[in-house]
Amino acid sequence: MKRYLFFDSEKCTACGACALACIDQNDVDTAAGQQPFRHTFTLEGRKGELSFYSVSCMHCADASCVMGCPCGCLTKDPESGFTLYDTQNCIGCHSCAMACPYGIPGFGADGKMQKCDACIQRQRAGLVPACVKVCPTGALSLLTQEEFLARQEKERQKKARLMMTKQLDQ
Amino acid sequence: MTELERKLKAKIPGPDTGIEVRRTLCDICSPGMHCGIGAYVKDGRVIKIEGLDGHPSNDGRLCTKGLQNRQYIYREDRIKTPLRRVGKRGEGRFEPISWEEAYKEIADGLNAAKEKYGAESVAFYAGYSKWYRQTLRRFAYAFGTPNYGAESSSCYTAAFMAWKVAAGDQGGPDMGNSDLFLGWAFNPFYSSYMAGRHAMALKEKGLKFLIVDTRRTPASEKLADLFLQPRTGTDGALAHAIANVLIQKGWIDRPYLDKYVYGFPEYAAYVAGFNESNIEELTGVPYHQVEAAARLIHENPRMSCNESSAPLCHHRNGMQNYRAVMALLALTGNFDRTGGQKLTPHSYMHVCCGFESREEDYNYETKPQGVKDPVGGPRFPLWNYTEGEMQAMDLPRQILEGTPYPMRALMGLGLNAKMFPNTPRMYQALEALDFFVDVDLFLTKTAKYADIVLPACSSFERGEFKPYPNGTAWYTSPAIAPLGEAKSDTDILTELARYMDLPDETLKKGYDYFIQTYILDGLGVTIDQLKQAELPIPIAPPQAYTDRQELDKGLKTPTGKFELKSAVIEQHPEWGLDALPTYREPLDEADPKAYPFTLTSGSRIPGALHSRLHEVPMGRALRPEPTADMNQGDCLRLGVCEGDTIVISTLRGAVTVKVHPTQSVPAGLVNLYHGYPEANVNDLMDEDHLDPYSGFPAYRSTRCAIAKAEKEG
Repeated sequence: MKRYLFFDSEKCTACGACALACIDQNDVDTAAGQQPFRHTFTLEGRKGELSFYSVSCMHCADASCVMGCPCGCLTKDPESGFTLYDTQNCIGCHSCAMACPYGIPGFGADGKMQKCDACIQRQRAGLVPACVKVCPTGALSLLTQEEFLARQEKERQKKARLMMTKQLDQ
Repeated sequence: MTELERKLKAKIPGPDTGIEVRRTLCDICSPGMHCGIGAYVKDGRVIKIEGLDGHPSNDGRLCTKGLQNRQYIYREDRIKTPLRRVGKRGEGRFEPISWEEAYKEIADGLNAAKEKYGAESVAFYAGYSKWYRQTLRRFAYAFGTPNYGAESSSCYTAAFMAWKVAAGDQGGPDMGNSDLFLGWAFNPFYSSYMAGRHAMALKEKGLKFLIVDTRRTPASEKLADLFLQPRTGTDGALAHAIANVLIQKGWIDRPYLDKYVYGFPEYAAYVAGFNESNIEELTGVPYHQVEAAARLIHENPRMSCNESSAPLCHHRNGMQNYRAVMALLALTGNFDRTGGQKLTPHSYMHVCCGFESREEDYNYETKPQGVKDPVGGPRFPLWNYTEGEMQAMDLPRQILEGTPYPMRALMGLGLNAKMFPNTPRMYQALEALDFFVDVDLFLTKTAKYADIVLPACSSFERGEFKPYPNGTAWYTSPAIAPLGEAKSDTDILTELARYMDLPDETLKKGYDYFIQTYILDGLGVTIDQLKQAELPIPIAPPQAYTDRQELDKGLKTPTGKFELKSAVIEQHPEWGLDALPTYREPLDEADPKAYPFTLTSGSRIPGALHSRLHEVPMGRALRPEPTADMNQGDCLRLGVCEGDTIVISTLRGAVTVKVHPTQSVPAGLVNLYHGYPEANVNDLMDEDHLDPYSGFPAYRSTRCAIAKAEKEG
């Protein structure tokens, strides 16, 4: 069943709980300089308005990292749709990172690629990804295809209403 | 990789992996939360944590602070055995000793001070966490001293005092039934997180938000229908100006004021002085925004407001400012009303759980009578009147000066010297004591001054009773064995009371006896039932509520009414305090030319809770270095950019930190988080810049100077 890691910026406050859940789940040794697979940001607009983001692998439908890897380490999981990997053959060439429009793939002390796998093993055990599980505001969620499409439709309608209001205001 | 190896790596619980999810709670922040935790345990060690589904506080979620529990409980500086100091105070050289030896030395040390200087020369102090506090208070009273005190000398109590003065007891928002929520210094997204989710859900349902904060925060961005940004510590003036508009326009509940409120005419005359002519100058908020706020209040009749334990109170005018904000509820008839503010009397540990208990009996029935005033009593008479316990802000002074009587021995649990304004003076005071015993999880800088250090255990290693605001409760079981020889705080206190043979049989019967007899017996519930519960279970039925039920009965104030003018203060002119919620300027007397900026500290950041998470690697990963927020325009003038280093200085001292230019703080303000070992902001604070009403320190309004740091080398 296809699933989506969904991020709702309206609910996000960049509190970083998702990043810490990732560190805890994956035993990321931050003291040694290792990075979690998810990061949060607070961006400040020109007038001081704040916006908040949580970013990890986008698990693109047409993932350029898959094509970019000369060793075939990266794959699209036909079952879930997530971008997974097996780095047994990884040569640490960083081609995936260069191919990725978001610069997501990172590299461990062993030189091999690592990134978010949407906690696929947890999902297979009927659990949600660690970041989704803890997110205090519900900004991160794991959606089925149906839920995802319904959510997109809701967003479209909201944007249409906003545009309409703006035009009427002018 | 085999499937089992994959599951082990992903920490999937099950018999094949040997990973079990055990239930416990997080006590990193305050008892108002204490979220449920699912601790993934393998071979007796916690390997992962997450929120507990179905728990009334967090229902599976977990915040940036709570997520640090695993690294927190395994911090490298955990104390594993009782220790005796062998080096100089503060040096950190100790030798391990047995519990028996430790108890003997503590008994000898405390009793020596008692014999030489009297029992009141010994103080008992509770820092964070708070769960053992009733036992410690009772221990102090059994020892014979009035000097029990807590970190609540700088947190929450001032707000509680403001409520006691006005309404006789604590009030809380009936937010779910409100039309408007007055979020004054309210940012639940980085503190008591789950309230943030609740607020967003109510906003979607149509609840309006008036957010007042000196800084832009996620709350101003996500929630505010109207956002006012007063200068730090000017909240009282702003509240008065809003009140004045409400009164001038007749947007007040006159019959309610006549019947239920004391002091309205004098109050109305006083707030008339806060108006179009001066409010922007006083607070930085333009008058049209004051009018807009009053209009929003008028158009949304049911209004409640948040409880603010610290932001509003950490000024020398803090308690009066708090009273000024609360007055808006009374003016509009929103105290003791559905959708307004209702009385929320405490059931247990300052949390209203909808049931009555005998906690106060346990706390106070053995309080020594006819003894001297506790520390800070003469200096902060209103505090002494409402609280009757040590105001710890005066403790270092009394240790060093020995007036009005000597203070020679101290037993602290979770004592953190970095909390005290002018921290170096607190270390001096600890050095000057005859005897100091500290109980903590970690060998902190404070613990290094102790003669004896005892290892406490974390919430994961003990069982405890915990009720919640929805009338449920449970009694946790340990998720792991205590680290080393660590013990629970209440076990330590009970064993020590028995060792010293203190004259209090109830105390010596221990924690479970207290919980069963004083809290649960009245509810017909047993500890065993609560121990078996996998999640908090209902122990008290929901209570019916009728509007004005408390006002009609009469409040626990001298007049029985909501007091805009405090009758208690009025009756004590010798205190030199104002009965009305008068406003005074917040800043200290340092020369504004030499110290042109205002330093504010204490506002929450996501990954820290006081100083306890600064040594946790994952907390530091989010914000590796102490960083001060400064207004972009100020940064431009000083020639500093993102990541540059600045020196913040006051008359007391200086710290060097990174700078983050932002528009989220107004010009002239510098905001630095507290408790960093390498940049302790409280080294800069003046120990006498305190609120005369509550004794609270003015962490959030101190004049300072800023300079760009010289590049090294």
